[in-house]
Amino acid sequence: MMLYLTTFPYQESSCIMGRRDVQIHFLTLLVLYFSVMEERNSTEETPRNNALAQRRSKSYRQSMRSCVEATHLAYTSGLLTALRIPRSRKAPKSCDITKQVDPDQVALLVKKEWQLSYVTPLYQFRHTQLKSYSKQLSAFMVSEKQQGLAIEVGQELGFKVNFSVVLGLAETDKDAETVFIQILSKQVFSAKDDAPKVVWSGWLTCVNGDLDYLRSLPLEFVSLPLFCTRGPESLTVLVKSWFENIFDCCFGPLDINSTNLQWLASLWTGCHPTINIQYLKLVWTLPTLPPMDVTYTVHPQDAWELWDSMRQVDTTEDSISIDEVTGFIKGLQSHFFRHFRIDLSAGSLMQISTALGSSHHSGKIKIASPNYIPTILQLLTECALLKMPI
Amino acid sequence: MELAMAKSSNLTRTDLDSSFESQLSVSSRTSYRSLRLAEKERRKNQTGDPFVLALKYFSEVKAGTPRAGNDILKRNLVLVERVGLSRGMPPEAISVMLDFAMSLRMGGVTSVRVLKFLIPATVVPQEAVVRAVSWLCVGKIAISTQVLFLRWVLTVFDMIDSKDHIRAIYGFIFSFVTEENLSPYICHLLYLLTRRESVQPFRVRKLLDLQTKMGRQPFLLHLLSLYKVFYPKLVTLALPSRMRSGFKIHNSTWKVALCAVQKRNNGQVSSDISLSLGLKDETNSRKRKFHHLELPSLSSSIQSNSSSSRSRKVLSLEQLHSFPHLLDNLHCIELPSQMASLLGSSLALCYLDYVQDDSVFLRLNFWLGHALHEEFLYCSRDGSSGSSSEALHFLNRLLSTQHFLQEGFSSTEGFLYKFLNVWDGSLLRPQILGLLSDIPVVPSSCISQLLFEPLMQLFFTSTLFFKCSVIDCLNNMLLKWLTWHSVYALEDGLDISLNRHTPMNMTLSGFMDSVMELVRFVGRLATMGLQLEGCHSLLLSFILDFYETVCDMFLKYGLPLVVMPPAGVFYPALFSTDPVSVDRLSYIMYRYKKNLTSAKCQQQETKAFHISRQTCQEFNHYLLFMVNCLWNSKMFLPGMAIEVDQELLVLSKVPEPWTSFDLNHHPAFLGYALDFHHKCWPERKDIDFNSIKAAKPWNWYLEFLFSQGFQGLQQFAQSSINRRSVAGISGQRGSQPTSR
Repeated sequence: MMLYLTTFPYQESSCIMGRRDVQIHFLTLLVLYFSVMEERNSTEETPRNNALAQRRSKSYRQSMRSCVEATHLAYTSGLLTALRIPRSRKAPKSCDITKQVDPDQVALLVKKEWQLSYVTPLYQFRHTQLKSYSKQLSAFMVSEKQQGLAIEVGQELGFKVNFSVVLGLAETDKDAETVFIQILSKQVFSAKDDAPKVVWSGWLTCVNGDLDYLRSLPLEFVSLPLFCTRGPESLTVLVKSWFENIFDCCFGPLDINSTNLQWLASLWTGCHPTINIQYLKLVWTLPTLPPMDVTYTVHPQDAWELWDSMRQVDTTEDSISIDEVTGFIKGLQSHFFRHFRIDLSAGSLMQISTALGSSHHSGKIKIASPNYIPTILQLLTECALLKMPI
Repeated sequence: MELAMAKSSNLTRTDLDSSFESQLSVSSRTSYRSLRLAEKERRKNQTGDPFVLALKYFSEVKAGTPRAGNDILKRNLVLVERVGLSRGMPPEAISVMLDFAMSLRMGGVTSVRVLKFLIPATVVPQEAVVRAVSWLCVGKIAISTQVLFLRWVLTVFDMIDSKDHIRAIYGFIFSFVTEENLSPYICHLLYLLTRRESVQPFRVRKLLDLQTKMGRQPFLLHLLSLYKVFYPKLVTLALPSRMRSGFKIHNSTWKVALCAVQKRNNGQVSSDISLSLGLKDETNSRKRKFHHLELPSLSSSIQSNSSSSRSRKVLSLEQLHSFPHLLDNLHCIELPSQMASLLGSSLALCYLDYVQDDSVFLRLNFWLGHALHEEFLYCSRDGSSGSSSEALHFLNRLLSTQHFLQEGFSSTEGFLYKFLNVWDGSLLRPQILGLLSDIPVVPSSCISQLLFEPLMQLFFTSTLFFKCSVIDCLNNMLLKWLTWHSVYALEDGLDISLNRHTPMNMTLSGFMDSVMELVRFVGRLATMGLQLEGCHSLLLSFILDFYETVCDMFLKYGLPLVVMPPAGVFYPALFSTDPVSVDRLSYIMYRYKKNLTSAKCQQQETKAFHISRQTCQEFNHYLLFMVNCLWNSKMFLPGMAIEVDQELLVLSKVPEPWTSFDLNHHPAFLGYALDFHHKCWPERKDIDFNSIKAAKPWNWYLEFLFSQGFQGLQQFAQSSINRRSVAGISGQRGSQPTSR
């Protein structure tokens, strides 16, 4: 059963409703706002002792560390993990990313839908070795495709793999530079001089990763926790298994939970004054039998005004707190409830999209506008780092 | 004839003799040398031996000597053949006959016949093989004979005394790989001979050329996969599962005879006839969409194969085959590309225990943590129902690994802290609790949040059996902590620099705080648990297990800490209805006393630590109460630990309530008292337990109890009960508690 509902007007009502919600949250915000924003760009340079690198606990002296790690690196769910989940973020600022990053490379990243995974830190990955990685990976792909045929590394083969660095995406000096991978293949029936076609692409990135975590990694490890892929699943599996083989890392699926989807919705809505977001579309799935999908499209101006009314209480201009975000979503939900008597908070938010991009619960993201790339990537890097086993 | 055969294994040809003597002395097989020295002694008198003469004939016979109608040849051939097939041939004889066969001096037919009975009795001298290969290069030999020769080499490969000279002609052997009929055997031989330095780009290219010519031949792929082990940078391939079984075995011609000879010379040479290969058989790996629980296979990494390490001799872990081999190569072992593969091999684990590199453990922990998280916490879209046996297998392997290394991995620890919050207490309980007992010492500041709170919730809401397992798990945990302490506290004292790179030192007091927290926590759990379960004796037994560990912390593990059990454990144990609990409690009290007295001594000597007055008081209380209760029949009297209102006691209408828990009235010992009463006064019909209390029967009764196996009671009595009288003064109770 698909319920497709579009609400555009009701500017008035949404505003009133928004204000009422503000008042409710006014109290909670006062209480909760002590969670000060983390110092992200702290310039402290002294490297922390490699708390992560500790081997097993040979003595009680050493085992102490494992526990101190626990408090730093969220060993536990519940309280300790909650400390790591950011309760506030910087408001997105439109910046011309093409000033820092090669526009051609930016064009490769935007306006495509990427499937997300997280990766544990890569052991002995070197940005200087990309050429040799290209050769290795292409030989690996061919030998896996043709089981039982030995392949000489470095030959011209059916696959061509390109590794390249996307310079400029990293925000702090602890962030490793983004690596972009392309797999090109000659079509079977192509003419001789046809250029090989891109059949798969993917990139590994880290934007504004948690400094404590990155500092605690020994030098041999490179943390590029976010892995975005696009192309046939079979190729993704091969690339992953090559990485696992060579850099002793592990991949896992990265889904975007509803809190993060809400963050994205708010962040994108907040951009409306600078870039027209054209629409805000949210998809909920309600746990009825059979499950009901609700697609809820909001006029951009309405959405922005609701968001702005949430923001009024905020004194510091460039930071957004989680309470503003939940207030915003609650406002949307109660508006919907008033009209359709369906309480969306009982369901789960599956997907959001605006003209700036879209994102799906199952770990798919599409960034349409290059201007807000760093903000989105920072959020996704956080999600990926939260998945790290240690 | 039989006699001649027995002697025939000796040789005379002195020239051969000396040359082989020198070779063998080079080789490390000293056992053969001593054997041969003894032979040499005997040999001097036996120049007339027909076998020796026959060999002499074969070594000297000229090429082109006619074969047909050659009676001497026939006779000698039969003689040597019979020796070869029955007793096996000594090294020199192998050398002579192989040379004879490969030189084709008497034609191909004889050569084939000779090759078929070349059964070594002990070893095959490698020079013989080298010379034979050089005959192969001459190129006159029929292909079938060449194949026969190669099959023979493969069959006796393990019996060749040493292989370095053969390896020296690797290039010559490699050149035969293009011969279509020989290449399967040549590849096999090369596989056995290949070292890292023999892998060269031109050889790889040659093999790849062959592959394009001949297709995917298993023998080529096996050799190439070995090349890949050495130089993954040069060649890569994925072996399909049906090809993983290894090379064919070519020993059919000699198998029976070789077995017979080896049986006869039993145990002289242990040679593995089947020569199968160590290629891992992975055909049974299940297909799973998410295979995070599957261990990767050992394979060398591309990373470390840089040109600098090429000159250095390194050995990858997948080539190791025995523990001595590991010991010999400990300095030059190369780590695999995926650290998790170490978990699959016990040899590799031995090496892991030796490795000091932090990043090794970090890599392992990343993998392990990832697997545990994905399987049990994130539950990635797989539906965990079908994989429970796999999870069980995985956790069991992890447990045995941790037990082997005698420590827990930090990723397991981190995982457990998270998992305890969502665990239902029944999923894979033995494994989870086993892993839990492996976790290293947790600082007292966070132990409660990480460990106690989730455990407490589980404990109070689950069955008796789970409660017992939790107490057992915590007992094991405490035991491991104390063992670490007793080992590493000493080690630290000896060499502090070992641990200098640690960023944080857990002090002794920090450790003691943690232990204290743990013991107190178990005390609380035990008190509540006993109440909830009505002092169930199974639970009580597990709790007493725990306190058996606790009471000996000072003497057994050198930890200056004495913690008494809470009243909620002490009294239920003392009043328990089964004698075993009372006996164990007595033993525990006896050990407490030992620990406290020696701690006191040390305290006076060194002033190193201080046992709190409160602990001593608690102990004295318990001790007094126990002695008064069991020996002196002075329960419920004013001034005792448990005071009951006298009027209330009267109301209960129990006659002489203060005697009801002394040893002759104690419900736990009722059966024994009855038994003793019968034995002591068999004629009496009415039973009066009070009569046991008289001086003489009382002592007998105690002896009787001790003889029933209540050692704890005995030790307790001997250490704490001071018998004032040696029997005789009637009416006086023979015991008084010692006062501390």
